Amino acid sequence: MTTPVFAVVGHPNKGKSSVVATLSQNDAIAIALEPGTTRQRQEYPLTVDGKTLYTLVDTPGFQRPRRVLEWLEAHSISASDRSETVKAFIIQHRDDGGFTDECELLTPLTEGAGIIYVVDGSVPYSAQHEAEMTILRWTGRPSLALINSIGEDDYSDTWAQALGQFFQVVRKFDAVSAPFEQHLSLLRAFGQLEPDWERPLEQATDFLLAQRRQRRTEAAAKIAHTLEEMMSFREKRTLTTLQTSDMSDEELARQLRTSWYHNQRKREQNLRIAIEKLYEHHRVERQEAELEWHSEHDLFSEDSRKAWGVNRRYLATAGFGAGAVGGAGVDALTLGHSLGAGALVGGLIGAAGSYFYGDRLTLPVLNTGVLTNGLRTAVFGPVQDSQFGYVVLGRAINHWWHISHRNHAGRELLDLAPADNHWLEHLDRANRQVIHRALERCRKQRVLDDKTRFALAAAIEQAMSAYDDWRLNRT
Amino acid sequence: MPDSAIRRLLEFDHQVQRDRDQSAAFLHRRDRRFALESREKGLSPGPELWLEHIRRLRTPQPTDDPLRQWRHLTTGFALVGLVTGVMAMLGLLFYDGGQRINLTVILAFVLLQCLLAAITTVQAFAGWQPWRWLLRKFSLTGSSGALRPLQPMLMARAAHAGGLMFGLAGLLTLLVLVVIQDLAFGWSTTLDTGSDSYYRLLATLATPWQNLWPAAVPDRDLVDATRFFRSDDRGNADPALWGRWWPFVAMVWVTYVILPRLLLLALAVVHPGLRARRELASHPGMIALQYRMETPALDTGNRHNDAGDQPDTSTSGQLHSLPAGQVLIRWAGAGEPELPDALSAGYRDILAAGGNASLEDDHRIIRQAGQVIAATPNPAVLVVTRSWEPPTGELADFLGEARKAWPATTLIALVPLAAEPDQPPPEHQVSQWLRFADRSGDSQIVVSTPDLASQEARIHRALQHEHRQ
Repeated sequence: MTTPVFAVVGHPNKGKSSVVATLSQNDAIAIALEPGTTRQRQEYPLTVDGKTLYTLVDTPGFQRPRRVLEWLEAHSISASDRSETVKAFIIQHRDDGGFTDECELLTPLTEGAGIIYVVDGSVPYSAQHEAEMTILRWTGRPSLALINSIGEDDYSDTWAQALGQFFQVVRKFDAVSAPFEQHLSLLRAFGQLEPDWERPLEQATDFLLAQRRQRRTEAAAKIAHTLEEMMSFREKRTLTTLQTSDMSDEELARQLRTSWYHNQRKREQNLRIAIEKLYEHHRVERQEAELEWHSEHDLFSEDSRKAWGVNRRYLATAGFGAGAVGGAGVDALTLGHSLGAGALVGGLIGAAGSYFYGDRLTLPVLNTGVLTNGLRTAVFGPVQDSQFGYVVLGRAINHWWHISHRNHAGRELLDLAPADNHWLEHLDRANRQVIHRALERCRKQRVLDDKTRFALAAAIEQAMSAYDDWRLNRT
Repeated sequence: MPDSAIRRLLEFDHQVQRDRDQSAAFLHRRDRRFALESREKGLSPGPELWLEHIRRLRTPQPTDDPLRQWRHLTTGFALVGLVTGVMAMLGLLFYDGGQRINLTVILAFVLLQCLLAAITTVQAFAGWQPWRWLLRKFSLTGSSGALRPLQPMLMARAAHAGGLMFGLAGLLTLLVLVVIQDLAFGWSTTLDTGSDSYYRLLATLATPWQNLWPAAVPDRDLVDATRFFRSDDRGNADPALWGRWWPFVAMVWVTYVILPRLLLLALAVVHPGLRARRELASHPGMIALQYRMETPALDTGNRHNDAGDQPDTSTSGQLHSLPAGQVLIRWAGAGEPELPDALSAGYRDILAAGGNASLEDDHRIIRQAGQVIAATPNPAVLVVTRSWEPPTGELADFLGEARKAWPATTLIALVPLAAEPDQPPPEHQVSQWLRFADRSGDSQIVVSTPDLASQEARIHRALQHEHRQ
């Protein structure tokens, strides 16, 4: 079985590198609105356990296609010798500075690569590409044309018509915004070019799909971990008698509060970087207002609370379920003789607690311990507000969604706009309760056991799906 | 090593904590490779092999036994058990010669010991931690999260070790006292119990050793004879009979204090290990590790990084005003089907080159344009291009050949047109033409854009046209 190799070729500056960046999940490929950004071919193999399933080759664009074609025509007698003539052209011109780009892009084709010809569907079709397409046809390699739209206009129909005359398969593929399913479908289309390529490309799509599922699970676990940390985080300081007398309680509270906010923001930031790394986005720039106290989209701003917090009714229903789980323990102890009263009472207590308490406090308060051995401990936190957990969760999932849907060719700023409607309503009741119970436990400084952690991560994964559905239905 | 499973769990947990900040891709590659190598050697990649593999690759460090504190705690409990065992037996056998040592008290104390041993084991299985305060004092609670579920079992082990030492010390004290003191045992109770039922109770208790050591099984006569009453403070039995109880007491102690503790200690030694195995199997890190070992490592070929090699897209080039040219060349189909008004008038020749035309056509166009501008004092040629199509080597070649063929003073103005001919091209497209002109290193090659909106420009062009006529 031969390993498929695909050379991404075309006119300069038509998004070849963007296509490669998206398909190889590499946001470190130089993409610039400048012809000739790619000067040498670069290989991007997809390997599984070190075994290559396919290789994408990014190539420079055609610079002098008519001169190449003129040379080829002058050295060929019949159609049967065309691919040989292309090889001869490369041998003849590999040291010739004038044809460096052509040699670079044609070499993989003469070595057995398939052709992925990329055009920009947002600009009008022009017959000047015909020389390029004719040269590619001369190589005799299996070929596919991609209409990649860089701008806003759409001339893809005329392009599709013209490309259909030269290429076996013509597909539209927007390297910046194509959803992941389209990447897979494109890979499957590559597999259709040659019977031998079908199996490795099928395998590749299966692996990529599994990788994506696993990334979602890992992202959920990371969010669960950060949520637990942030909900139970306390800023502590031990003071001597002298320090206690030197500093007023207000000043101490101010210092601890500032430090507490700083650390919470840092945790959120670290989570974002971890999620971005998980999805191989190493160069994301954010548009979100960066973490200034009470700025519009700050973690602690009223706007964030409004956008990502849940309403009282939600808190009460989630609280009821969470309380009922605890109350059911009473029923179990009485071997069912309490006829479910434990669950009911527990549920009611949970609902009432969440309804009245969950929405009461926004910020944690300062607690100072008694003076012992000349030392006094001052503690700020943990947050006494379940809403804070929902704000953190909402923001984290929103960020995850943008990152997981972002293609590696996308170089625009990451705009994390807040939600305009409550997405958590799409999550089923059982998972809402798991999340609520975990938030409540953290708030009460009770350590989560591994089972609860697992359940929380699984519930967050479900919440991610709910968010995905919500975004899908919204747009 | 009885604690090897616990150590393995702790080491595994420690490694998982250490791996927390590693990238998922790295961990996957590392563990998948280990799994593949193990399979090649015909080994099944389990946690033990994995830890060994990790240990081998790590720089050797002085290892601190994570169970050291627990060992200290167990030793402490054993010592306390030793001391309290001696004290308790001394208290139980306190005999000043004036009264009898009451067997009933000893039996009640033994029952209490049995009960305590049972509670300790039940607590370990149920996972209760009534002595958490003690662990906090020894700072054992925060050491490792993985150890938390094992704490009740480890505590039970310490407690049973203490209980066993208590029992052994008690037995030893009893034997020493039997040797050095003249102990007088008897039995007594305020309850209305006859010696028959007391005998039956004792005989039942003595069942386990009745064949092993018949002398340690009391007979009915002895029971009858050694009962003492409130009214009778000296007792009326044969004085030798009071001492015949010690083998029974010793066997009761061995069977109901020492043996249960010994058995439960054995269970408490095995139990944490079993639990540790279960904890390891369900450890979130283990589930993740198994996934990584079973799932092929995928590399999307994204290691190449040339993001830093971006071309310099700044340009010092400036747009020139549109020169009054004599020839206009449409390059690669630019201006088709129709040139904008601002360009369509005022040229002696409007020619087409590049794109679909042959190279021979290009040479012909260069010659033709050369003839037109040869006789002009200020020769100027406009090359209209499509602003969105990047300038390629072909255009550079064309301009190079033209430059050789045309008079040296010829001004060549590149005029990039937008897709909508009545709109100016976007700035980023114009700038690529400015950079192209810059790169040519020829001051006579400039970039111009027509003033498409201004009416004056059109009049100006019309006047030029008239003037040429």
